[in-house]
Amino acid sequence: MKNKYKDLPRWIVFAIAAFVMNFPVISTLSTALKTNAEISRDPGLWVHAPTLNNFAVVLQVTERLNIFSYLHNSLVASLIGSILPILVCFPMAYAVARRGYGTDVIFPTVVNLRAMPLIIFAIPLYMMYQTVGLLDTRLGLGLILAVVNLPLALLLLINAINDVPYELDEAARMDGARIFTILVKVVFPICLPTLATVFIFSFITAWNEFLFGLMLTTSEAVPMTVGASFFFSSGGGGGQWGVAAAVIIVASLPPVVLGVLMYKHISRSMTAGAVKG
Amino acid sequence: MSPKTENRILATPIVLFLLVMLGFPAVLDILYSFSEVSFENLRSPTLNGGKNFIKVVNDPEFWAASWFSLKFGVATALSECILGLVLAVYLAPIIRKNNWMIAVLIMPMIIAPAMMGLMYRLVLHEFVGSLPHYLYLWLGDSPAFLSRENVFLTVFTIETLQWTPFAFLLIYMAYEAIPSEMREAASVDGTRPWRMFWFIEVPQMAPTLAVAFFIRFIDGFRVFDNIFVLTGAGAGGSTTSLSIYIYLSFFRSGDIGKALAASVILFCVAFVILFFAGRLLRRDRA
Repeated sequence: MKNKYKDLPRWIVFAIAAFVMNFPVISTLSTALKTNAEISRDPGLWVHAPTLNNFAVVLQVTERLNIFSYLHNSLVASLIGSILPILVCFPMAYAVARRGYGTDVIFPTVVNLRAMPLIIFAIPLYMMYQTVGLLDTRLGLGLILAVVNLPLALLLLINAINDVPYELDEAARMDGARIFTILVKVVFPICLPTLATVFIFSFITAWNEFLFGLMLTTSEAVPMTVGASFFFSSGGGGGQWGVAAAVIIVASLPPVVLGVLMYKHISRSMTAGAVKG
Repeated sequence: MSPKTENRILATPIVLFLLVMLGFPAVLDILYSFSEVSFENLRSPTLNGGKNFIKVVNDPEFWAASWFSLKFGVATALSECILGLVLAVYLAPIIRKNNWMIAVLIMPMIIAPAMMGLMYRLVLHEFVGSLPHYLYLWLGDSPAFLSRENVFLTVFTIETLQWTPFAFLLIYMAYEAIPSEMREAASVDGTRPWRMFWFIEVPQMAPTLAVAFFIRFIDGFRVFDNIFVLTGAGAGGSTTSLSIYIYLSFFRSGDIGKALAASVILFCVAFVILFFAGRLLRRDRA
């Protein structure tokens, strides 16, 4: 009998920690499911008369809020921001992993980017983008999101290539394959699982980014995170708390879905990135 | 093709990308920080020596922002690592059997810090927020979370609650990676659980703890999103981090030279810290 309940205190601690840390999410979800009348009458967590009306309002395109445009911008910019790092890091990762090339300058430079306050680059980028016409474009936003994702992409790809047996390269080389053939036909397919992890992780990071979206877009390419904050502060309140809550939920949904599906891989790559970095 | 040429070609994409996206802006950064520049003469700045830097160094708000960032970074990193360590070690026996618990615990860090900030704006709202509602109900009173006196504690708590999962995750992984022979040997020798924790497990996890602290410190130091959406520079500027200070100098005051000078200073400080941290780490491994 005693053994059966010996883990009970741990379960209680887990429940409390999970509840407290996720409290804002639970509370916002509850607000999003309430009518305006209920929100002002009883702001507690329990929803007496659940309604999806707030979400219906969110999905209507109006002058003040066009959520599809925000979602579209975030999607395109995040795709650029998660595919481009893989493309530019993959050959470099091979050079680092197999030949120890670039370990003195390029590798530390990229990895240390993880620790740089991003605002340093935001202002000169603003000026540069203005000159070349990338300001307020999805491409411009996607490019800088790609920079944000470089460090982790490089680290994880180096790890992945280190795990590919060297004999495979050698065999291909013996057969007269050139380096790029080896890269594309031999190493790339084996690294696919890692590439998928890098992609998803980068996508979440890019989707969640706020500072560059705020500084480098104004109307055409505003991403979801920034759009949600605009809606909120432009009196999205104004009595419309339920709608504001629904906007936040919609904005947070894509990374959460990806994260829940991928949490095992995320935790593994997070550790790899942190320990090596 | 010689291996040397091959290496260069392999490195070309990332080097080009970095040069365009960061090299060029860095040059602009330095050039403009020594110039008189505003939104009107953005393309034809005139050099003014170190005036911008003098302006920044003499600006009490710059020092207030630096102090806020430092304090915030250290305090949040410390509390996140301690809480993360406690959770990881205490919950490890049940998480081992129930992997899904990790997904529940790391949920907060998958959500954008900016969205987290907005959620707290709702949660803490005087009239429609659930937290003040319950505090009124149970305690008869609710503090003004975003007032000048309370705001630091509020943003500190928010940051800690969102990012403790990160520290927890790293530390849990390190805890699970401790070789079981080590624990067995110690328990055969009759080592008590507390001694086991302090003298065997903590030293084994020390590198991870250091890394977790460092990453959390960096992220706390450069904090922008959640504080910005929650308070702006609000509460009398008492939550202006360095990132927010630079942002405000640039967009609200239009003082581009000052903003750039501040970011060049920030860059240099970050560079020096990273340089020494890197050397320390390398020496550790050697």
